Amino acid sequence: MIEITWKITIRIPRQRQDEISAEWQDFSVEISPDETVLDAVEKIWAFQDHTLTFRHACHHSTCGACGMRVNGVEKLTCITPIREVTRNNGTLRVEPLRNFPVVSDLVVDLSRFFEDIERMHPPQVATNRQDNLLYEPVADESANLERLVDCIECGLCVSACPVALTDNEYLGPASLAALQQALAASIDTAEIDLADHHTGAWRCHSAFECSAVCPSNVEPGYRIMDLRKQLMQKNFKQWFGGKGKRA
Amino acid sequence: MKSTPSSKNFYQWFDPRGRSISSWGFIINRITALGLSLYFILHLIMLGQLTQGQQAYDGFIALVKNPIFAVGELLVIAAGVLHGINGVRIGLTSFGIGVRYQVMMLIFGAVISAGIIIFFGFRMFGGV
Amino acid sequence: MSSKPTVLIIGAGFTGCALAYDLTLRGFSVTVVERGEICSGTSGRTHGLLHSGGRYCVNDEEAAIECIEENIILRRIARQCMEFNLGMAVAITQEELQFRDNYQAGAEKCGIPVRWMESSEILAREPAINPSVLGGFEIPDGTFDPLRLGLAFAASAKNRGAVFFTYHQVDGIHVDGQSRATNITVINRHTNQRIQLNADVIINATGAWAGKIAALAGVNVPVIPTPGVMVAFNQRLINRPINRLALPGDGDIILPQRRMAVIGTTSFEVEDVDYIPIDAGQVQQMVDRAAEMVPAVRQAGWRGSYMSARPLIQSGTDARSLSRTFKCYDHEADQGLKGFITITGGKATTCRVMAEKTADLVSSKFNISSQCQTSEFVLDSYRTFYFRQPAL
Repeated sequence: MIEITWKITIRIPRQRQDEISAEWQDFSVEISPDETVLDAVEKIWAFQDHTLTFRHACHHSTCGACGMRVNGVEKLTCITPIREVTRNNGTLRVEPLRNFPVVSDLVVDLSRFFEDIERMHPPQVATNRQDNLLYEPVADESANLERLVDCIECGLCVSACPVALTDNEYLGPASLAALQQALAASIDTAEIDLADHHTGAWRCHSAFECSAVCPSNVEPGYRIMDLRKQLMQKNFKQWFGGKGKRA
Repeated sequence: MKSTPSSKNFYQWFDPRGRSISSWGFIINRITALGLSLYFILHLIMLGQLTQGQQAYDGFIALVKNPIFAVGELLVIAAGVLHGINGVRIGLTSFGIGVRYQVMMLIFGAVISAGIIIFFGFRMFGGV
Repeated sequence: MSSKPTVLIIGAGFTGCALAYDLTLRGFSVTVVERGEICSGTSGRTHGLLHSGGRYCVNDEEAAIECIEENIILRRIARQCMEFNLGMAVAITQEELQFRDNYQAGAEKCGIPVRWMESSEILAREPAINPSVLGGFEIPDGTFDPLRLGLAFAASAKNRGAVFFTYHQVDGIHVDGQSRATNITVINRHTNQRIQLNADVIINATGAWAGKIAALAGVNVPVIPTPGVMVAFNQRLINRPINRLALPGDGDIILPQRRMAVIGTTSFEVEDVDYIPIDAGQVQQMVDRAAEMVPAVRQAGWRGSYMSARPLIQSGTDARSLSRTFKCYDHEADQGLKGFITITGGKATTCRVMAEKTADLVSSKFNISSQCQTSEFVLDSYRTFYFRQPAL
């Protein structure tokens, strides 16, 4: 069986933790076009440069660790085939996620990211019906069965978001989607008021780039708008409910 | 490599490379907003000329009969139409209405806007 | 000078993280070094099956009992990252149908609650299963998220004082003149700087790399990395892990994880585990085998294929081990090296008991009599591992 091998150049910004700026480094890699960008990065680390740092764990899009920018676009590199992002003899730019502090090379600091999400108390497990978006059909026999939720906390949405790019205080699509998901799963410690703030659901400017790059069917943009709908319903009830009117 | 959020990064808003079609709505709304704001300021300046008396006003009107200003006015119409129609899409989705169709609304809105702009283009320059 | 004995654990996979948690609860001062992210070795790549032990109940009673006991414990302490809808072991061929009685007897002997289902019930619950299924058992299998299980243990350890140095690679283990392993040198991969870490005891929990790390200390651990291929599909074809009703073999499982279905696996030996290329023939073999259980895999979109290297131990070695299902080597006993222990082998489902037995050994070396408490408490939220301040 003949295996096709491509020869590509991968360009990665190299940076140690104490350095303020990164320097591009090119690596020449021979790889099958059906292998993934993560495979290529692993090959570089395994055979060419053991000092390359990057984050990965499951290699099958369930852990969310391997998010990177590939030619400027956010991708989950373990499910991004080489043929999708370059051609034989092409050059591939692989950079760390945007809008997070870079620790070294392709590794970013996600501490605040996880702190923000945790505050929303989203469960990692919900029923099929709870985690599906409202308009997605779900078969009766599986509606109440459990599944690990769609959001794998990969951070691609935050990296792609133009508001997260310019506002350090914005909660970001991941946390907001997490809150909406926690509410949909009836988590009683989830507080919708956390999003009722100028740094919360109201800060979104509808670029919907988050939904475009999400590799895991979360649709954060949809969830943020749904949060707005819920917040408005709640606020209307508060403003007018006291006068005996139904919202 | 600055990767922490900062308002200094705003110029990256206008770089559509690698971004999806939804971002075009975002970018065009920003550019048209800036354009319309600039127009608003110019409009106020023009109105200010009115207070300077008949001669100042006539001089100003003579200036704006220059075809360059007609192009500018078409741009204002374009900005208003794009910003307004996309704005309707933003308004609806912000109430959680039709979010799953937002890309369709964007494309539909762009087509309608193009139609209106072309129509006014012909009205303003058709006789030339 | 701390009064707590210090332990250095090399490797933050399931074993290392669970061990860090256990030893921290027992009062040890624990430091963990890991060259990548938590679970970035073999542990992260498990397909995530929470074993019921059904797979082993016929020909490996000890393994099966261990599995079901740990299955029940993990369901209690690590529920946060687990989808549990029960699983199935289905008979597709007549030969498999005839295996039913053996399986039932084995399950009962090992304490695994199983229930026979006729094909009509199977297909009602899982319509994607091959319509010519002959029947099967309902077994207490589940699916867990690999990284998050490791993180949950690591978070629970870290929140109680354990220190984790991720992106720190061991490049030397120092043995002094009295044959005692006293310290290690690690490179902080973020800064490329070397630091030295001392400890009263060093534990090698590097799984498939255990042989390489042990060699740094001058001892032999005969680990043979034994990878298998797995394929992930873009559709959640089934809501429960589906096994073949047979003795363990290649390609006999398909399980759900989020909106995917994952099939596996094969078994072959390699020497270098850092990068294992995918064998297209094996992938096709997996798909063919899985299609016998769930025909729709042939139409499902591929999400990715990947290799996971099990740490299997060469049999017939001098090393004394605490259990047949995993290997814990006290190198003072087997090769005269004090202060160095290797723990490897096993499976994800039994990580907690592997840690328990190892922690028992470590405690005995310090004449500390301590009870394992890891089965008693629900693990901390896995996200807290990344917090800047410990979350308690």
